[in-house]
This record gives sequence, C-alpha cells and structure tokens, in this order.
Amino acid sequence: MMNSPSPAEELQRFIAQRRRRYAELGIVLCALLLLTALWRIAQGEWNIPLSRVFELLSPFLPPQTSELPEALIIRSVRLPRFFAAAGAGGLLAVSGAILQGLLSNPLAEPYTLGIASGAAFGGAIGFFFSGLAVTPMAFAGALGALIVVNMIARHSGGSGANLVLAGVIANAVLSAGVTLLKAIADDKLGAIVLWLMGSFSGASLQGALSVWVGALVVLVPAWFYGPHLDAVSLGEGQGEMLGIDEKQLRLRLLCASSLGVALTVSHFGIIGFVGLVVPHVLRRLTGPSHRPLLVFCFLAGALTLALADGAAQRLGELPAGVVTALAGGPFFCWILVKRK
Amino acid sequence: MDPGEEKMTSRSDSYSFKNLTAGYKGKTILHSLSGEISPASVTALIGPNGSGKSTLVKAIGGFLPYQGELKLNGRELRTFSRRELGKMIGIVAQQANVKAAFSVYDVIGFGLLPHQTLLEPPSPEDESVILDAAAKLDISHLLFRPVTELSGGERQRVLLAMILAQDPPVCLLDEPTSAMDPCQALLSFQLMRDLAQSGKTVVVVAHDINAALSCADNYIALSGGSIVSAGAAGNLNEKILGELYNTPFAPYISSRGDKVWHPVLKRC
Repeated sequence: MMNSPSPAEELQRFIAQRRRRYAELGIVLCALLLLTALWRIAQGEWNIPLSRVFELLSPFLPPQTSELPEALIIRSVRLPRFFAAAGAGGLLAVSGAILQGLLSNPLAEPYTLGIASGAAFGGAIGFFFSGLAVTPMAFAGALGALIVVNMIARHSGGSGANLVLAGVIANAVLSAGVTLLKAIADDKLGAIVLWLMGSFSGASLQGALSVWVGALVVLVPAWFYGPHLDAVSLGEGQGEMLGIDEKQLRLRLLCASSLGVALTVSHFGIIGFVGLVVPHVLRRLTGPSHRPLLVFCFLAGALTLALADGAAQRLGELPAGVVTALAGGPFFCWILVKRK
Repeated sequence: MDPGEEKMTSRSDSYSFKNLTAGYKGKTILHSLSGEISPASVTALIGPNGSGKSTLVKAIGGFLPYQGELKLNGRELRTFSRRELGKMIGIVAQQANVKAAFSVYDVIGFGLLPHQTLLEPPSPEDESVILDAAAKLDISHLLFRPVTELSGGERQRVLLAMILAQDPPVCLLDEPTSAMDPCQALLSFQLMRDLAQSGKTVVVVAHDINAALSCADNYIALSGGSIVSAGAAGNLNEKILGELYNTPFAPYISSRGDKVWHPVLKRC
C-alpha cells in the first residue's frame, strides 16, 4: 500500500499515455495517407516512377514540361482524383462522428438522417431541369430534409431515437423520389444513375477543392465546440444541465454537416458507410473525446475513401460508393459482433 | 425584519414560487404550487411515485416552460440563459445513464465546462479540483475506468463528483442515491449536509425517507402535483407520512436515539 502511486501521479501517467496513443495514431494515419497518395498518383494504367512524380509535381515546372501527357495525367487527373476522394472521405467520417455525438446515437450518419438522400433528391431535380444548379439544389435538399426530419422528431417527442426514426422514413421517401425522377428522366437516366452511384473518376480540381472547403466548414466548428459535443454525447440532456444550449449547438453543427454532405453528394454522388464505420473504429482506438476523435476521423476517412477509390479503379472503374458499401457492410457487422 | 436583512435573503440562493403550474406538452403535472426553498439548507422532496417530484426538479432547474411565478434569487427563472443556469445550478438527473465511454476522470471534468471558455487549455487547478471531487466520493480508484463499465451506484457517485467539480450554488439531486448501497447512500447524504453547511442550496428527491431526513433541514411533500405539506424536517410525523403515502407509518427509536419510520404493509 505504501508504494502505490498517488492519484495525482496516476493521473500524470494516464494523461501521458493518452498523449502517446494520440501521437502514435496520428503518425500512423499520416504515413498511411502519404503512402496512399503516392500510390494513387504514381500508379495507374501508366506507371510513373516516383522520382519523376516528384519532379512533375513541382510548382516551378517549365511550361513546356507541364504540357507533357505524363504531367497532365498527374496534375489534372490523378492529383484531383486523390484529393477529391480523400476530402470527401474525411468530410463524411467527420460528419458521421458529429451526428453520432450530437444525437448520442451510434446509428446516426448523413445517410440514416436523410441528409444525404435529401441532397441526392435535390441534386437530381437540379440535374433533371438543367444540370447547372446541382450543388445549390443539393444543399437545399439536404437542408430541407434536415428541417423536415427535425420537425417530425420534435413533434413526436424530440429524442435522438425519434430523430433517427424520422430520418429513416425521410430516407425511404426521398430515395423513392430519386427513383421516380430516374424513371421519368428517360434521356438523362444514364447521367443521373452514374452520378448517384458515387464515383471519383473524372474528378475535377474544382470538385476536389469544394469538398475540401466543405470538410473545413464541418471540421473547424465541430472541433471548436468539441468539449460541448462531449457533454452532449453523454445523452439524457446532460449537456443542457451543464449550461450548454443543445438546440443552438445542434442547429449550427447540423447545418454545417448538411452543407458539407451536399457538396460531396452534388459532386461525387452517394458514398455510404464511411460516415458510419470510420467513427466507430476510431472511437475504439482513441476514446470518445471529440477534439482528437474528429481530427483522426478526418485522416482515417480520407485514407479509407482514397483506398476504396483505388480499389474501385483497379476493379475496372467501379463506382467507389459500391466498394465502400460492399466492404463496409460486412466490416461493420464484424465490429458489432466482436464488441459483444 | 430590517431592510438590510431582507436584501441579504434575496441575494443568497433561494427559490420562491407562487401559483407555479408546469408540465409537459399537453399535460400539466404541477398544479399551482406556492412555496419556497431556503438558501444554505437541504430540502427533501418526498411523495409517492408520480406525484411530480422530478417534474418540480426539472421546473426549478429551468427545463420546463411554466406559468406563474418562479424566482431564483428574486429573478424570474425564465430570464436566465442556459449558460447562466449552468453556473448557478448543478443537476443529477434520475436516469444516471451515460451513453459514451468517457473515463470517470473526463466525466467529473465536464463539471468544469460552465466555467471554461472553449479555447482554454486545461489548467493544473482543474486537475486538482477533479481529484478532490473523486476523493470525496471515494472513487479515486475508478478514475481511469470507462464510466460505461461501472455499476449503477458507482455511476451515481461519479455524477455527484461532477457536481462537486461544477461547484454551483444550487444543487438539484433527483434520487441521486437510488442505486447505491446503504453505506454509500448515507455518505452521500452526509456530503449534501456538508454542501448546505458551506452555503449551498440543496434539493434532493429521495424515497429513503429516513436517510433523507437524517440530512434534511426542510421537506416538501408532493402528492398528485400539489404540495400537501412542507416545513422543517423535524416537524414531519407519522400522520403526515401516512396520509402522503396512503399507508400507515410506524415510528421506531433507533439504538442511537434517532427517530425512524417504516411503512406498515397494508395495501401490498
């Protein structure tokens, strides 16, 4: 008994251990992301040696070199594609973590809450009528779905479970709406179907940029409100009891998530399971504290979707959304079973 | 009473309510309550199941819309912002469920949230506040365990420790000891006594009347959403209890000379 460490000493050890775990995980994720980036940029139908890749990525490339086909492939095809997949993956994983925390419900993610189907439906209407206003229409759809889902949940008691239930219903209705649009959109059918399947082939620099902006719009405020998100995620109104305006927090973060998800969906279609699986895995590795969790979710989500996109391309240019759902579903079941 | 003394009373943390009516959407639970809760004391809320004890706790915690008058320190409760309430009032809710696997250390630390800004780095004082709170509730050995793995009674002690870290002038505790063993429950009631002595206003809902009265200064007895009796804890007797619970209560004198009551089975 005399030799047992005091609580203060144990606390220092606990905090140091936690820091070390964060540092290790951060290094591993960054390293894997970097390797994936090199793989995605150097490898493809035309393999380019790494030394040449670094040469061609230099911002001080002479104009005549940057016109070379290999430079074009790297700079305007592979680089945007990698960044688009990574940004979208990070955004979806962060959104999932936020929604799960806000609603203290492990099933919450942009798809279960109807946000993504709202974006898909809005975007599909945009596609149907012009093809120009897809992003704003997707955002309007996401926000509209969110408002309706929130209203239904509030009028039925306002609990997190009701919110997910309302989301599931909205999801079903909106998916039927998208199917209806597909059915009457004869000549544009192919385009809508292809878009909604979720793919990064042909990602533009502009698309990549907009998902990164979206990711920042979601990540920065969520990180800022991290400690409040922690208290809210305890459930049972614990956040309110600690003086946190849960409604305000919900409104702000849900709007940010909707915007981010709408940007992703409007550019790259529907990519499921990243928002559900990545936060679950990360929470087991880092614990539930949101500030570190959100940052690691961004890195791990980016890694996951970049890898999934690589696999999708290798398998004959499949839609990345198909790969994430096919691999994510069984993986998620495995987590559920292993946890018990 | 001289004016100076009256000013003192209104500045310390007392509640007063007049014709307070509150409840949930489409369902009124509390019917026109009038009364007060004295500062720097422990007030026990007693009454049968469904009598409105938890609703009253939620109402005076600022969680329910209400009609009538409900004042904390002479100021209408609905005019307080959430953040102000977080600094003023600490609450342990009846359902001590915690849905996220934070460590006990983290959960106690959430008590500090109302006093922190979002970009403040953790300070060494915070650490010692958390360690002290844990020591007071005898959970120092659980500090680094996930709170989701604890037993119900241990979890209730964690939530009480969180209130200690929060250090609010008003503590509202809704059956905070319902899952604790008798010894821990008594220690918790002793802690409430200490809190009141240090100037805090403590309101506790409890079904263990004897344990609650061992620490309470006052009681409020609720039945059917109305106050049927209130006053100094010493004035509580078997007649009031019998009417409140619709069951006769028999008084006993313990070997230490305290009076305790036990219900006499009649209905069940």
